[in-house]
Amino acid sequence: MNKFLEESLKHDLIEDLMGSISDVLKESMVFNSLEEVDLKKIIPLFEKWELDTGDVITTAGDIAQYFFLLESGTLLLSMEAGKSVVLETPGDFMAMELLSTKGVYKTTTTVLENGNVFAVSSESFLSLIQEDTPGAETIMQAWQKFCDQKAVFAKNIVDINVPGNF
Amino acid sequence: MYGIEAINANNGWAISVVGITIVFTGLVVLSFVISQLHKAMDLFENPQKIKRWFIGEKKVDETGEIPDSPNLVITEEQKEITKQFALLARTMEEHFSLPRLLHLSQISGVKNPHSNLNILLKFAIIFPDGEGFFCWDQNRYTKIISQ
Repeated sequence: MNKFLEESLKHDLIEDLMGSISDVLKESMVFNSLEEVDLKKIIPLFEKWELDTGDVITTAGDIAQYFFLLESGTLLLSMEAGKSVVLETPGDFMAMELLSTKGVYKTTTTVLENGNVFAVSSESFLSLIQEDTPGAETIMQAWQKFCDQKAVFAKNIVDINVPGNF
Repeated sequence: MYGIEAINANNGWAISVVGITIVFTGLVVLSFVISQLHKAMDLFENPQKIKRWFIGEKKVDETGEIPDSPNLVITEEQKEITKQFALLARTMEEHFSLPRLLHLSQISGVKNPHSNLNILLKFAIIFPDGEGFFCWDQNRYTKIISQ
């Protein structure tokens, strides 16, 4: 009986998580144009992280293991030369040239307000967008628009079509 | 009966004025609609904005957390901390580095520097310049401090 309850609770938790990530992806400027098929493919890649004020989730110089999709809270992305961007809109995506170069973080990300992010392995994400599929193309086009809107100063035009560089 | 005489006899002037008014009003309405079309197109392209309006309003009502609107009240303690940030910002350039301000506030012993810096951003006392640096809005600061 206990095992049954445990399984049931686990199932409910997974259902909640799937619902939550699905809502954020639909709000995200980068992912909201994806077809349902592509969303189903991408959702399992994400895992939810809880963030507390003052946490540092990426440090410049470290290996870039994860990219992040913001669900709630406020993040300060500190870049080179004192530049920075504050992200606070659910669905904001921290990845590629906003965070890393050649597999190394170039940005230190500090939590200014408690919240949650969905972390995705940078390797899995880059493999996904390197596929020759309409979904991958949609993500890359939306990503460029997102960068133009949020942090055009961080955009590296040369690298934008070479995901392997991130 | 022809010309001006005929116009006078058949309410021609009044009809002309009404006609001109109708055409002019129509053109004004049309130009207003065209000038606002970009907003409708924006909502059409980003339907989640409509959802966000409702969700955003609901969140503030339910949680009573730090307000998004700079019109809401700031506590006395937050005002004091804002003054400390103001002093630090004065030592910096007009377009300053936000991570640098955070670092200065940490080494200066400002209470809860992360969350208080976030409050300054929420109240738009500190705003981005679009080039990766931030500016201090002295007018907004004065207004909020004197609340």
